[in-house]
Amino acid sequence: MTSTSDTATPRSRKGVDGWRWTGRIFLTIMILYTALPMVWMLLTSIKSGFAAMQFPPQWWPTEPTLASYRKLLDPQNSVGQDFLRFFWNSLFVSFVTTVLAVVVAVPAAYAFSRFRFPGRKFLFFAVLLRNMFPAVIFLVPLFILMRVLGLVNTHGSLILTYLTFGLPLAIWLLKGFYDNIPIQLEQAARIDGATRFQAFLLIVTPLSVPGIIATAIYSFIGAWNEYIYAATFLTKNEQLTLPVGIQRFFSENTTDFPGLMAASFIMSVPVVVLFLVLQKYFVRALTEGAVKH
Amino acid sequence: MAEVVLQHVMKYYGSMAAVNDVNFTVNHGEFVALVGPSGCGKTTTLNLIAGLLPMSGGDIKIGDRIVNDLDPKDRDIAMVFQNYALYPNKTVFQNLAFPLQMRKLPKDEINRKVQEAAKVLDITHLLERKPRELSGGQQQRVALGRALVRDPAVFLMDEPLSNLDAKLRVQMRSEIKRFHQDLNATIVYVTHDQLEAVTMADKMAVMNGGLLQQYDTPAQVFANPVNMFVASFIGSPAMSLVPLDVATVDGKTVLTSAEGWNLPLSDANARKVAGASSRKVVLGARHSTIKLHKSQVAGSVPSKVYTVEPTGDITFVQAFLSGAIVNISLPPTASVAPDEMVWLEFDQERIHLFDGETEMALRAA
Amino acid sequence: MTTLAGHANAPRGSIPARPSILQQMWTSRADYLYVLPAIVVMLIVIAYPIYYTIELSFFKTPPGLQLRDKIFVGADNYTAILSSEVFWRVTINTVIWTLASTLIAFVLGYGAALALHRDFAGRAVLRAILIIPWVISAVAASYIWKWMYHSDFGIIGQVLVQFGFTDRQPNFIDNVHTVLPSLIVVNIWREFPFAMIMIMAGLQTVPEQLLRAARVDGASTWQRFWHVTFPHLRGVSTVTILLLAVANFNSFIIPWIMTGGGPSNASHIWITHIYELAFGRQRWGVAAAYSVLLFVILMALGYFYVRALSGNEKEQGA
Repeated sequence: MTSTSDTATPRSRKGVDGWRWTGRIFLTIMILYTALPMVWMLLTSIKSGFAAMQFPPQWWPTEPTLASYRKLLDPQNSVGQDFLRFFWNSLFVSFVTTVLAVVVAVPAAYAFSRFRFPGRKFLFFAVLLRNMFPAVIFLVPLFILMRVLGLVNTHGSLILTYLTFGLPLAIWLLKGFYDNIPIQLEQAARIDGATRFQAFLLIVTPLSVPGIIATAIYSFIGAWNEYIYAATFLTKNEQLTLPVGIQRFFSENTTDFPGLMAASFIMSVPVVVLFLVLQKYFVRALTEGAVKH
Repeated sequence: MAEVVLQHVMKYYGSMAAVNDVNFTVNHGEFVALVGPSGCGKTTTLNLIAGLLPMSGGDIKIGDRIVNDLDPKDRDIAMVFQNYALYPNKTVFQNLAFPLQMRKLPKDEINRKVQEAAKVLDITHLLERKPRELSGGQQQRVALGRALVRDPAVFLMDEPLSNLDAKLRVQMRSEIKRFHQDLNATIVYVTHDQLEAVTMADKMAVMNGGLLQQYDTPAQVFANPVNMFVASFIGSPAMSLVPLDVATVDGKTVLTSAEGWNLPLSDANARKVAGASSRKVVLGARHSTIKLHKSQVAGSVPSKVYTVEPTGDITFVQAFLSGAIVNISLPPTASVAPDEMVWLEFDQERIHLFDGETEMALRAA
Repeated sequence: MTTLAGHANAPRGSIPARPSILQQMWTSRADYLYVLPAIVVMLIVIAYPIYYTIELSFFKTPPGLQLRDKIFVGADNYTAILSSEVFWRVTINTVIWTLASTLIAFVLGYGAALALHRDFAGRAVLRAILIIPWVISAVAASYIWKWMYHSDFGIIGQVLVQFGFTDRQPNFIDNVHTVLPSLIVVNIWREFPFAMIMIMAGLQTVPEQLLRAARVDGASTWQRFWHVTFPHLRGVSTVTILLLAVANFNSFIIPWIMTGGGPSNASHIWITHIYELAFGRQRWGVAAAYSVLLFVILMALGYFYVRALSGNEKEQGA
C-alpha cells in the first residue's frame, strides 16, 4: 500500500478495522457459548459429589478426583459392568450400521449421479424427503414391523432403522463426490476392457474414498447418538446403548452429577475424536455434496 | 486394423435428433476427421462408434462384425479423450497396463508391451509418475500410449489436442500424423478445429445439426464445398459469401447488386446459375482468388475497405460488398487504407455459386 | 464419393418411433440394480409405517386392549385433537420453538462462518471447537445443560447471584415462563454449527473475481457482502434454513430429557406430545391422528424444500 492510497481511502480502512473487530468480538462470544458448557462438564466430572453441590460453587475443584471415571470404567463393580456393556453395545450397533450404510449408499449414490433412468429424479427426491419425517411417526409401526421380523430386543432392529434413516444424507453426500469424478474415466475404462461394474469398482471407487469416509463418519455419529428408537425397541438392560443406558441409570441416581458428567464425557469422546481426526473429509463432503448438490 | 461402416445411424435425445441418418465408411488404415461446430453431433457419433451411448437406429460395423449391441470392451477399439481421462490414482505404468490387465494378459507380457509403448512415445522416464505430476503434453502422450498398447482395430480420438497450448498443439499434430503413418492405423478423430482436420486427415466428415454435410478428402471439401455451411466452415479466413440476384443484361447472365453494379458471368457459371431455384444466388470466393484494384478494370466491382490486418507475409483486407464482408489477401507490400474505394475482380474459374434458397452449391447441369 | 446430406433444413430420414417409458425402463433395468438395495430398505421401513399410521388414526385403542383389537371411530380422533386446549398450547410452543431455534441458529452460524472466513492463525482450531456441540449426542448435551440450569447448584444461576443480578437462584426449567427459551438456548447450541458449516462451504464458492471487481468498483466491506456474497449464498441459505426448520420441527431429545414437556405442558412440542400420548398414555389412535396432521404440515414444508433444492439445481446448471 502506498501512502496515496492510504490517504485516499481513510474511511474504508477504518470500516475494515471496524468489521474485523466486530468479527473478533462475535467469535469470542461464540467460543465462550460453545466451550463453557463443555469445560463445566469436565470440571464437574473431576469433582466429588459433595464438591459439586456447594454454594458458592468451586470454580476449580479443590480436590480433583477421577473417582467417577474409575467407577464407570471398572469392570469389577456393577455400575462399571453396565456402563462398559452399554459402551460396547453402542460401538457394535454404530459399527455395523456404518459398514452397511456404506455398502448400500455407494451404489445408490453412484446410480443417482451417473444414470439417467426414468424415475431417477423422483427417486432422488423421495430419498431426500425421507429426511422430513420425524422418528415418532415411525415408532409404533416400526415396533410392530420389528416384532413381525422377530427383531424386537435385538440390535438388528436398531441397525435396520439407523440404516434407513442415515441413508438419505449419506446418498446425498456421496452423490456430490461422484458428480465431481469425470465420466470420461469410466468411459476410458470400459473401452480399455472393463465392464461397467469393473469400471465402477476399479476406477471410481478408489477415487471416492474421501466421500466414503465422510459418509462413514456421518453414519457412525448418527447411530452413536440416536436415542428415541433405542429407547423404544430395547427393554432388556444388557442390550441398551449408551444414550438410553445413561438416561435409565441416572434417572435412578438423580444427584450423582459428577458421575453423569463423566458418563456424558466418555460418551462424547469417540465421536468427537473421530470427527476431529477426519473433519477435513467431512467438511469437504458437505462442500461438494450439499452445497453444489 | 479394420474398416468402420456407419449405416443410417440415428441418435435421439428426447425428440431431438443429435445424430440424424449418418452414413460413411472409414477404410482400413484411413484417418478420418469428424469436424463441425460444437453441438453438431460429432462427439455423439464417436461415442456411438465406441459403444458408450446406445444407438436409436441404424448399424455400425467394425471389421466384419455388426457391433450395435456389443459393450465398448468387446469392440476392439481404443479411445483418447479430450481431458485424457488418465486414472489419477494410478501411475503412468499402471495406466498403460490397465487395458492389458483387463484382458488378463500374463504379467511379463504386460510388462513388455508397456515398455514397448513407452519407448515409442518416449515416456519411459515417466512410468513411475502419477498423471498430476505430468505436463499437458506428457499426459497427452500417456493417453496415446494407453490406446496404442492394446493394438486395437480402430483408434477413436475425441478432440485430443484442444487442451494443449497453441505451440504444443502444432507439435502433437505432427506426432499423431506420424503415429498414424507408422502404425497404418484406422483412426476416427473428432475436432472442432477445421485446420486440424485439413492438415491431418485422409478424409473429413463435416457435420452440422446432426447431419453429415459432406464426406470427402480435405482437398475436395476445400475445392468443392457442397453447401454454404461447408464453404464457410472450412478454410481460414472463411470463404466470403455475397448474396446477389440473377439478371439478364444484353442477353448475358449477370449477378446484380442492390448497390447498382453488375457482375457478368462466364458461360460455365451462367449454366450453373440457370439451375437455381429462384433468382437469389450467393457468390462465394476464397480470399486468395480475389484481386484488388485501385481503379476500375473490366469485370471488377466497386467496394469499400473496412479493415486492413498485416500479418507479416500476408496482409488481409476486409471490404464491404453489397452488404456483406469480403476477405482478400494481398502481398505485404500493398498499401491500402480503411475507407478507401477499391475494385474487386473475381476469378470466374474459382468462384463458388450457391442457391440462395436451398444454400446448396450450384453445379453445371 | 461425395455424400450429399442436403443442408440442415432438408427433409429428414424416417424417424423411428420413440421408445415408451416402459421400454426405457426395460433398457435401463441394469441401472436400477444400483438403487435397488436402498429402495427395498426404504419401502420396508418407510412406506409401511406411513400406511399404518394413517390407518390407525381412524381407530380407538382403549388402554388394556391389544393394539390389534382397535375400534373404528371415524374422524373422532381428529375432532378431539382440534378441539383440545393442549393441542393449541403445544402448537404455539412448536411454532415458537421452530422459528426461534431456526432463525437464531442460522444467524449465529452465518456470522460465525463469515468471521471464520478470513485466514488467521488458529482458525482451524476455533472452527473445530465451534463444531463439537453438533457432533456430541443430544442426550449428553441435555444433561450438561440440565446440570448448568439446576435449580440449586446450576452454574448459570450461581453466576447471576454472585454478580448480583438476582437475589435467588433462578429456576430456569421448572418455570412456565422461562422453560421454553432455556431449552431453545440448548437447541441453538447444538444446531448453529450446522448452519456454520453449510455457509462456510457456500462461501468457498463465491467467485473471488467478483469480490475483486466490487473492490475495484469502490464497494466497502459491507457493500461487498450485501451485493456479492449475500446474493450468492441465497441458495445455500434457503436449503440450510429449511433443513434446520425440519430438524427443529422434529426435535425430541432435548425437551424430552430435560423437562419431559413440563412444567404443565409449557415445553411440550408436537413430537414429545405425540410420544407421550402413544407410549405414556397408550392412546395410539390419537397419537396416530396427530402424526397424520404432522404429515400434512411436513408435506407443505417438503414442497418448499424440494422447490428450493431443485431451484438450486437449476442455478448450478447440474
